[in-house]
Amino acid sequence: MDTNTTDAVLNLKNVESYYGPIMAIRGASLEVRKGQVVTVLGANGAGKTTLLKTISGVMDPEKGQVMLHGAEIQGMDPDRVVRKGIVHVPEGREIFPLLSVAENIRMGAYIRNDRADISVDEEMVYSYFPILKERRAQMAGTLSGGQQQMLAIGRGLMSRPSIMLLDEPSLGLSPLLVSEIFAIIRRLNEEQGVTMMLVEQNALVALRVADYGYVMELGRIVMADTAENLENSRDIQEFYLGKQEESQRGQRRWKQRKTWR
Amino acid sequence: MDVKLETAQKVPAQRTVHGISINADLTTGPYFIDGCDTLPKLFRNRCEALGERTAHREKDYGIWLSYSWADYYRHAKLIGLGLLSLGLKRGEVVSILSEDNKEWIYCDLGIQSVGGIGSGVYTTDSAAQLKYLVNDSDSRFLFLENDEQLDKYLEVADEMPGLTKAIVFDREGLHDYQNDNVIFLDELYALGREFEKQNPNRFEEEINKSDPDDICVLVYTSGTTGQPKGAMITHSNIVYSLSSGLIGAPTFETDEQICFLPLCHILERLFSGFAPLASKATLNFAESPETVFDNLQEVSPHTFVAVPRLWEKIYSRVTILVGDASPLQRWAFNKAIAAGRGKAACELAGDPVPSGVMTSYKIWDALVLKNLRRMIGMDRMRRAGTGAAPISPELLEWFAAIGVPVLEGYGMTESGGVMTYNTFDDNKVSTVGPVVEGAEVRIAPDGEIQYRGGNVFKGYWNKPEKTEETFTEDGWLKTGDVGHIDNSGYVSITGRLKDIIITAGGKNITPAEIENKLKFSSFISDAVIIGDKRKYLTALIMIDQENVEKFAQDRRIPFNDFASLCARKEVQELIGSVIEEVNKDFARVETIKDFRLIDVLLTAEDEELTATMKLKRGFVEKKHKTLIDSMYGGS
Repeated sequence: MDTNTTDAVLNLKNVESYYGPIMAIRGASLEVRKGQVVTVLGANGAGKTTLLKTISGVMDPEKGQVMLHGAEIQGMDPDRVVRKGIVHVPEGREIFPLLSVAENIRMGAYIRNDRADISVDEEMVYSYFPILKERRAQMAGTLSGGQQQMLAIGRGLMSRPSIMLLDEPSLGLSPLLVSEIFAIIRRLNEEQGVTMMLVEQNALVALRVADYGYVMELGRIVMADTAENLENSRDIQEFYLGKQEESQRGQRRWKQRKTWR
Repeated sequence: MDVKLETAQKVPAQRTVHGISINADLTTGPYFIDGCDTLPKLFRNRCEALGERTAHREKDYGIWLSYSWADYYRHAKLIGLGLLSLGLKRGEVVSILSEDNKEWIYCDLGIQSVGGIGSGVYTTDSAAQLKYLVNDSDSRFLFLENDEQLDKYLEVADEMPGLTKAIVFDREGLHDYQNDNVIFLDELYALGREFEKQNPNRFEEEINKSDPDDICVLVYTSGTTGQPKGAMITHSNIVYSLSSGLIGAPTFETDEQICFLPLCHILERLFSGFAPLASKATLNFAESPETVFDNLQEVSPHTFVAVPRLWEKIYSRVTILVGDASPLQRWAFNKAIAAGRGKAACELAGDPVPSGVMTSYKIWDALVLKNLRRMIGMDRMRRAGTGAAPISPELLEWFAAIGVPVLEGYGMTESGGVMTYNTFDDNKVSTVGPVVEGAEVRIAPDGEIQYRGGNVFKGYWNKPEKTEETFTEDGWLKTGDVGHIDNSGYVSITGRLKDIIITAGGKNITPAEIENKLKFSSFISDAVIIGDKRKYLTALIMIDQENVEKFAQDRRIPFNDFASLCARKEVQELIGSVIEEVNKDFARVETIKDFRLIDVLLTAEDEELTATMKLKRGFVEKKHKTLIDSMYGGS
């Protein structure tokens, strides 16, 4: 991994984070370059969400550095991190349920004061999520899960982030909605050039949209490669994509040992 | 009964060692332990005498369950009789493909009690290797642990014509499985019960028929080059090995011990499979090789035998823990280790421990070392052993300092597992100890260690020409190891004879000497020296993941996966500095001029590694040829 590239938006070096006495991240180093979608795969408890929280300042790392455009930001309060250009779309959406859709979207721009541009961006968000435009006056809490996810992403876009951290956008959504949202994520990346770091358990959709991927296990990064190579790796196929080589009996219950190659 | 009496008359003069009767003179057979000259007889003797006492424990859904000697006998008997009913004949081989568990030893003793020969297959072996082992050993039956191993068997089932049946231990995931060639263990037990009704005394009769010169097990040697060979080990071999072990490395009937290395390997087979039959100790099966640290804490064994890798792991766990402790704790720990070293140094030199040193040790022992031992599950450890690979003297000294005596021994499959071992009273670190009682060891003119004793094997299964190559003209076993013997008879090993490198300059070099020095660094888990018919020496290095990761973390060296860790300049420099340090100990021609790191994390499934996680020179040289060539100008 070359850490000296100038187009790296986000750089993590040897980050260690604790949940109380438990080391949830045991030295993670990774890099997200401008315009890239980077995905972090891993099972429950692998440390993916902790990783995002550490980046966005919700948690402070015990050791290591988080660098945005080459400047250290670890240990900063979350609101300063947002101003620096990192927006975190948390797991489970967490929109403001009692505010309207339009108000929620505008909340995303609270760090900005360039009114004219804000309206332009609002229109941009609505163009990607027409359903939100339709329901702009509705209380956000009354939206469906998929719409709330769209709202959370749309709200995140409003701060014009250098990088957007997405925590399990597919969580709890129907397959149809998942593909719809990932199609939008891809378009946002391609058309608006939004750099993204995407944490997912749904490896297949994540690898389809991502350029590069990391696999986390028990707080460690065990594999790093292009999304295409990851998709073709034997371990990823078996443990994340649920594909198995056909056995002699036509069914198989046991798992191969992981080698992460 | 007549048979028993008859043997009793032939028993040579006996002596009692730790309550067990063995031959007074171990230089000639037949060998007896408590009046038994074969394992099945000893097994029956123990099971009858100990009955409902716990023989072994196994963890099931998180709870340790106990099984008695009577259970042991009952299950082995049903397996033996079941196999007889399916047509097993005396002298035929049965293969066992399973992780360590109670069924493994039930099968092992059941098979040999009815005159069969048990042969272990590593669970990490591929289907092709399984096929080779089954066919080479002419196995009639094959025991399989579970669905995973069943699938392995099914892949090659058509190519193993000699097999009558495969028998699966675990039904999990296979409840509706139907195959005429496959039955389950409970079905075999039922066959055994049925057969017992018709032939109530058959099992005991078969045990009586056992002869010391019968082959009791076939142990395949991993073979760093060529195909594995099945070493034929007789009852007499094992009874001798056990007798000689009882003298200087006894286990007592109150002892708890842990089984975690593969039982296919002679070391664990002897120590966990057979030694408890002599000592009556209680065996505890570790859940898996990965959980052995937890299982150690739970069991807190009195005796424990492991390979250097495991001792290194325990050491690095403790160092990492101490590294993250508070300054006060670190200070106390270092003081305690120093006090322990002081005492251990005196003991090792054979000097009386001065009272000042002893007092200091006792204080620090009570404050720190005792807790440390409890933490790693070694607070009751009376005697620990290490073997199967060289171990760093510094590591042995460290364990001695914390109050865990780890003694090095030496043996090979062809010598029934043991040839030399250090004892608590006369321990010489960096030697493998003196030859066992009743046996002899000598150094041939070319430096090879040669051995003669009651446990020298019978030969390789179906490979008389290979057998012949293993013995000298005057009948000594060629170990293939190079080494020397000091004035007091302690043996040191420097390397493998066939690994000797002859450089392009014509200089003979024993690579193991250099490799061991490298391995003693906590950052290097294994190394292979290259240089045969080359201008200079180079090395392929397998780094120790845990310690190098820790090194990188502490110095903020970013990495993600294993390959990127190996590629870091700082890691390369670290290994380079270790090599430079080691180079100082050797003559110019023996210095390493270049090195490469193996940047894939190898597992036991990889053919480059032996079951005890050692690199196999032949495979490494073949598989990493381009890497090696790149150190010699790429040609």
